[in-house]
Amino acid sequence: MSDAVIWSLVVSALLVVVVRRRSVAIVVVAAQSLILGAQAIADASGESTALLVAGAVLLAKGVVLPVLLIAVVTRTREASRIATERHPLARLTLALAVALGLAALVPRFGLTSAGAEHAAVGLVALGIATAIVRRPAIFQALGFLLAENGLYLAALAAPGGLPAFIELGLVFDLVVVISVAGAFSAKIHEELGTSDTSLLGGLRD
Amino acid sequence: MTEALVIVVPGLPILSGLLIQLAGTPRGADRINIAGAVATAAAALTLTAVALAHSATPEHGSWYVLDGATGAFVAVVAVVGLLSALVSPAYLAGAGRSFFRAARARSWYYLGFHLFWAALLALPLVDNLAVAWLLVEATTGASALLVAYSGRRAALEAGWKYLVLTTFGVTVALVGILILYVGLAPHGGLLSTLDWQNIAHGAGSLPPESALLAFLLIVGGLATKIGWAPVHNWLPDAHSEAPPPVSALLSAALLPTVVLIAWRVLETLGPALRDGVASGTFLAFGLVSLAIAVPFLWRPLAWKRLLAYSSLEHMGVLALGIGFATPLATAGVVLHVAGHALAKALGFYAAAPLLRHQPEAAERPARGLAGASPGTAAAVGVSLGSLSGLPPSPLFFSELLVLLGGIDAGEIVVTAIAATLLACGFLGLAHALIEGVVSDDRQRPWRRGRQVLAIERLTVVIGVGLIGLSATAYLLPGSTFVDRLMGGVG
Repeated sequence: MSDAVIWSLVVSALLVVVVRRRSVAIVVVAAQSLILGAQAIADASGESTALLVAGAVLLAKGVVLPVLLIAVVTRTREASRIATERHPLARLTLALAVALGLAALVPRFGLTSAGAEHAAVGLVALGIATAIVRRPAIFQALGFLLAENGLYLAALAAPGGLPAFIELGLVFDLVVVISVAGAFSAKIHEELGTSDTSLLGGLRD
Repeated sequence: MTEALVIVVPGLPILSGLLIQLAGTPRGADRINIAGAVATAAAALTLTAVALAHSATPEHGSWYVLDGATGAFVAVVAVVGLLSALVSPAYLAGAGRSFFRAARARSWYYLGFHLFWAALLALPLVDNLAVAWLLVEATTGASALLVAYSGRRAALEAGWKYLVLTTFGVTVALVGILILYVGLAPHGGLLSTLDWQNIAHGAGSLPPESALLAFLLIVGGLATKIGWAPVHNWLPDAHSEAPPPVSALLSAALLPTVVLIAWRVLETLGPALRDGVASGTFLAFGLVSLAIAVPFLWRPLAWKRLLAYSSLEHMGVLALGIGFATPLATAGVVLHVAGHALAKALGFYAAAPLLRHQPEAAERPARGLAGASPGTAAAVGVSLGSLSGLPPSPLFFSELLVLLGGIDAGEIVVTAIAATLLACGFLGLAHALIEGVVSDDRQRPWRRGRQVLAIERLTVVIGVGLIGLSATAYLLPGSTFVDRLMGGVG
């Protein structure tokens, strides 16, 4: 896996942390998934099962899920900017600190390249950071996708890859979770008039 | 024959959930739900009998393992699932607005419920860590919308929090599984690389840092789903906002079943770690969970929220028993899982008539139940009395066994702290019991309608079950069943 691919994955994850518009973030994550899918297809050349799995993953993460999320965004227009969002620079700083910290802490664990290992851990960390620092519900769903792309990158860089059953299981799981998250996002918007999840803070002891 | 039964057990609830979509009327949906639940429970309890018969010599199939633990956990999930399915029609009849469109709300509820139950029944059976992970995730997908079923703002918050926190938690566990997989198969592996027995056999050859990292990430990630403190934030909200039959399934079946997966990880991967690290992790989760839960048991909480914090306490007891890892503690854990399931399920079922007649109990403690509805008061009394560990509750014996197991393991300080916290928890729940049942608040007597009658019958059935479990406390320690409980993974 080339350094250019790895860097493009990391930069796209950072973009999701800073961009304002939900639709732009969805396109960025779709592009990231397509880059990973293309890499998986390139790695699988000549092996029919691996090719089939890579194609299914690419279709689900690069096309189906982004289309689903765009449909949710279209149904849940925000009347104004979400006021509770932190400044993009603050979000970026926090996300970078989490990602770099975790990437530095996790020791080598046997993937084919150190760069892929750091990037995989970084993407998982950025997915979690996105869910923490972004307020609109859709960004938390995008956090799942970023984290899952980190795991997929690790799977591609694992010696011999991951068994097809696990890869397909992961995609199925992702489709279910993102669909449920989409349903929640729409319902939260219907109830609150915005998808700002920071307004859901009534349950405390 | 066994292989067919293993497929039928999770298959039947899936089929029931799909068939209910074809029902033309609410009554038809209820009937299919009950018929499917009875058939599922019958098949699951038959499988339990097969698993218990194999407890001395565990059986492995193409994708499943039948050992004592499988039998015990499938039985618990089957019984709680059946009871929840039976009380669901009465809950749905009185439910108002919903997350879903009114015309489809009931069938969506049943679909989610039966898929959730199917995943829970399959979890103790699977012989592979990766497949177990997928099933744990499937439980989230199936149950998140059920948590938010009422569609109220608080329910949306609880469901969303549950979805986000547990999904990211189990994603962390998946990172650990990936590290474990790469360590076990440095030149490429198969799905079977992550079979429990292969993990146990290969763990010794793992690089020490990889083994430690994988263990901490897997157990730490699963802890978010179990609701062990300090990663328990979703638990009180989801348990208190979900419909009562779903709360029962979440607390009495989901949490302990995921504990089983963490326990299997300890049994297979733990020996590869430095002495005391694996058990110490469980003991730490246990003590922190107790320490966080007990102060809440002293506060005047709404009924379902009190039960939720009691779940946190009891999952802490399970973590301690597993961490002590002595035969006495193991016997205590098995008894605790079963006793907690019955007592907690009864508590949540009692919430249905309670919230219907005393809606303010959703926000503050229930009061004066003995005067208002002796039947509901009996249910609350049996549930809280058992959960507090009042003798002759099976939880009294199980907690005693866990603490004796701790002394047997030489963990005197941990045992002393745990005993103190459990005593404080007992006092907190006993206070809630007295305030809720026999406080002198004048309440107008409730009509003895369908829900109250149902809870009275359930109290008798579950009360007998609890007494029966207490009797087994004398049989479990030293039995082959306990000695070979995890025989299928070693």
